[in-house]
Amino acid sequence: MKLENEDALDNLIICHECYTLHEEIPIKDGTKALCSHCGSVLYRYDSRLVEHGLSLSIAGLIFFILANVFPLVKIEILGHEQFITIPKTVIALFDNGFYVVGVLCAFLIFIFPLMIFLINIILFTLLKLKKGKFFTKELLVLLSHIKPWSMSDIFLISILVALVKLIGYAQIHMGISFWTLILFVLIDLYITKKIHVSEIWMLRKRVFLAQGHR
Amino acid sequence: MIEVNEDDFIRCPVCEAVNIDKSRENICRRCGSSIYKHMRFSTEKSWAYLITAMIAYIPANLYPMLITNQFGVVEGSTIMGGIVLLWEHGSEPIAMIIFIASIFIPILKFLILIYLLISVKYPIGKDKKVNKHKLYYITEAIGPWSMIDVFVVAILAALIHLANVEIVAGTAATAFATSVFFTLLAAHAFDERLIKENK
Repeated sequence: MKLENEDALDNLIICHECYTLHEEIPIKDGTKALCSHCGSVLYRYDSRLVEHGLSLSIAGLIFFILANVFPLVKIEILGHEQFITIPKTVIALFDNGFYVVGVLCAFLIFIFPLMIFLINIILFTLLKLKKGKFFTKELLVLLSHIKPWSMSDIFLISILVALVKLIGYAQIHMGISFWTLILFVLIDLYITKKIHVSEIWMLRKRVFLAQGHR
Repeated sequence: MIEVNEDDFIRCPVCEAVNIDKSRENICRRCGSSIYKHMRFSTEKSWAYLITAMIAYIPANLYPMLITNQFGVVEGSTIMGGIVLLWEHGSEPIAMIIFIASIFIPILKFLILIYLLISVKYPIGKDKKVNKHKLYYITEAIGPWSMIDVFVVAILAALIHLANVEIVAGTAATAFATSVFFTLLAAHAFDERLIKENK
């Protein structure tokens, strides 16, 4: 295969599931390109990616904050009432002396999800303003490093499993946080599914190429 | 003009940009991260993490995951014990979820990683039509789900905290969380480029 120079490599893409090499072609707005070998999504083209990304991240952050300040679930057991919040779950682990699990949980269900949404907001704002060529690069690298370690969705399923275990022993009331956590996880999943990190890289290239800084 | 062999294209593990394999030290041209520069220790790092994870998985199954203190009667239940108990109490779907998350996925991940790590060094399964990239992708995708049991224990311990009835996390929770953490590290440390070299 012959290439003009190293920049021509940007027109190539390797499927992230099966490693098949593809050439990138321009596609219509709002459509996606699929891998010819395994059928997974290679890339999408969305002309309003910045606006979509920014609005979704802000909405996600609001739901995340709400999910952390209100009670998650409340139970009534033998006449006693007890409720938990997300921070309280982590603190309870520390109180019981489980520092390793506590630190791990704090990162997986609190710090990393929060960081991802903050990074997304800063990133899309900078891209919208067409500023911070090097800072966006650092942010994108950081984002792909912490992305696999965010486990809000798994935590949500764990709440359901824990509650099913308690059926019959206690009366269970869902708190406000439970519903906001569901909304947060849905937005999180939507962003993960619909906005791939490599698409933000492509967007960043378009933004700064149009600006003529290169 | 540069002439590139199609097998020399590699993907940056961080930003997924296509790069040309310069075999020794590869710095991604887009994000600047190094792409597996440890050529001499290609699989050792991943092996080390994987073995740590497997060692931690043993106490995770032997020690109690959950300790219930009901009116002074202290009772501990291991992962498998908890699953059996749930199954007997009639919550089969939950027993299945816990079984898949804490027994099936970790063991499957160990086996896939062992297979991948051996097969990139020795010619095992060369003729078979197994897409190792796909296998690797599966391990990355299912890995985090083993954390379910640790989170469940954390939630129960925070929730059931009364004078007479109390649930506390057991030693296995630490061991299990360590095990999951190191399996994730092992998967991340695995050099996907090696699959190609030994095709």
